[in-house]
Amino acid sequence: MEIVVLIKQTVDMDQLKLNENSEPITENLPLKVDVLSKNAIEAAVQLKEKYSAHVTGIVFGTEKSTSAMKEAYAMGVDDGIILTGYKKTAPSITAAVLNNKLKDMKFDLIILGNQSSDSYSGLLAGTLASKLGIPVMSNAVGIDVKNENANVTIEGDKYDFVEEAKMPCIISVAQEINTPRLPNVMQIMSAGKKKIDIEDSGAVYNDNIHILSNKAPENDRKKMIYEKEDEGIDSIARILKGVAK
Amino acid sequence: MKALLFSDEPKNLKEIITYFSNEMEVTAISPEDDSVKKYGAKKVYFYKDGFSDNISNAIKKLNDTVKPDYIFISSTILGREIAGIVSSKLNEPCISEIFAFKPGKMATTKRFFYGGKTVLEEESNCKLFTVSPGLTEAKEISNESESENLTLESTNYRLIDRKEKKMGDSDIAEAKIIVSIGRGIGSKENIDKIMPLVDALHAKLAGSRPICLDYKWLSEDQQIGLSGKKVRPDIYIALGISGQIQHIAGIRGAKTIVAINKDKSAPIFEECDYGIVGDLFKIVSALVNKINN
Ligand SMILES: Cc1cc2nc3c(=O)[nH]c(=O)nc-3n(C[C@H](O)[C@H](O)[C@H](O)COP(=O)(O)OP(=O)(O)OC[C@H]3O[C@@H](n4cnc5c(N)ncnc54)[C@H](O)[C@@H]3O)c2cc1C
Repeated sequence: MEIVVLIKQTVDMDQLKLNENSEPITENLPLKVDVLSKNAIEAAVQLKEKYSAHVTGIVFGTEKSTSAMKEAYAMGVDDGIILTGYKKTAPSITAAVLNNKLKDMKFDLIILGNQSSDSYSGLLAGTLASKLGIPVMSNAVGIDVKNENANVTIEGDKYDFVEEAKMPCIISVAQEINTPRLPNVMQIMSAGKKKIDIEDSGAVYNDNIHILSNKAPENDRKKMIYEKEDEGIDSIARILKGVAK
Repeated sequence: MKALLFSDEPKNLKEIITYFSNEMEVTAISPEDDSVKKYGAKKVYFYKDGFSDNISNAIKKLNDTVKPDYIFISSTILGREIAGIVSSKLNEPCISEIFAFKPGKMATTKRFFYGGKTVLEEESNCKLFTVSPGLTEAKEISNESESENLTLESTNYRLIDRKEKKMGDSDIAEAKIIVSIGRGIGSKENIDKIMPLVDALHAKLAGSRPICLDYKWLSEDQQIGLSGKKVRPDIYIALGISGQIQHIAGIRGAKTIVAINKDKSAPIFEECDYGIVGDLFKIVSALVNKINN
């Protein structure tokens, strides 16, 4: 079985600071493998261990994405391709780039994270599936393979269900599907020596979307913090009593 | 101006119809639920048991006949999947998770970015959008929408099993007072210790993501945050919640936020109106005494 796992590299949003105009300072932010991409890698590697599959990782990123691929290698991904030319989150363009690469590859499953932690758009799985003309199942918490079908347990909004579709297909995973493994030193060392294919994606950002502003939402909370419990209890009890009436 | 709307969740669909039907002639696609007809859509198409392939085909066909200026799809798991497929089929980029929209030659939209840390205001000529739940309060009107049943094409998916989720008994989205618990609660049994506060205030109980999804001490529909519910109560009381940005994104609409946390440097204290630094169990029982007296 051939599995492709799509890996997103994001800036470390926990370290994002704002300037005096409440705008994000994005220069020199450390990069990391996006949270749900780690779950996607773990899901792919678990399937590899169960069905002796071969896992190819693809990062649509930049020259700086080798660190992400090395992390994926250390977790058990066999081969890696970095497509350079990524500029911003634009699911339709990311899907076009990946489609371009994947349409000539052989695969049974494509696994990715359900939503990425910067934009939460969650559009890539559906867009790419449509371009490749294959089924897509989203927010998986369990993946199994039965004959030529992928059998997927999905946490829906109102229902939990089990769905089946013919492979090849795309599966996006939820954070709850697994706990990504922490590679050991040996795995990290040998991952560092593995070859990574780097190709220019030729991505063209031709959409007509312009950013008017990108700022932290205004925070006009009162921020009255009581460090002496007694004082706080008195005034907060009064406020609560007023509203609860 | 015309808009085509889709959601597999009637509650979200009612919100979107309410939001757009003042300015636009709305055609909506909904799972069978007659109550959707009361919110101002010109016409509602009902489907039964759809999957992403046959529903997106239906949307594409209605796009050809209705010729909408805009398509809005509510951001649910199925909605996002379908929005992606429609984006590819119509060759239209999609702006995701919007919570504000102004039509125009260039439409103006707002959405959260950097995991909820910033708001992106954008101007675009896009036609397709996914809409974040909780856009507005749904409002019934006196006129009923026309309706028609859609016959969906066959699907490539097979449903093997479907279980209704265990839902909490309360709708936190409508609550005036919410008491919300985080990992600071420590154990499932400890929830009993804060129930007197919930009862004294006639509040609804909610929680952070770890409490609802990882530990399952509360049900999933009680989760507040970016990937949970976005709420707008008069008072939101956060007990033992650190205040990570993904949680805050769910409570920006709260009128007043009260936080109790033993860690003085917890980020929740930057996002609250009133805060007490200390042990939540001690403070909650003192609060309950004061309120009941
Ligand atoms: C993609 C993604 C989506 C997410 N979506 C959401 C979401 O929708 N909603 C959400 O909530 N989270 C979400 N998260 C998770 C979020 O990042 C945080 O991990 C989570 O909100 C933390 O929950 P918490 O505050 O309960 O726990 P913690 O961060 O562990 O905080 C517990 C707090 O309790 C305090 N405490 C402990 N004991 C006591 C005591 N006795 N008295 C008083 N205080 C005490 C501690 O000081 C601490 O501040 C998401 C994360 C990701 C990656």
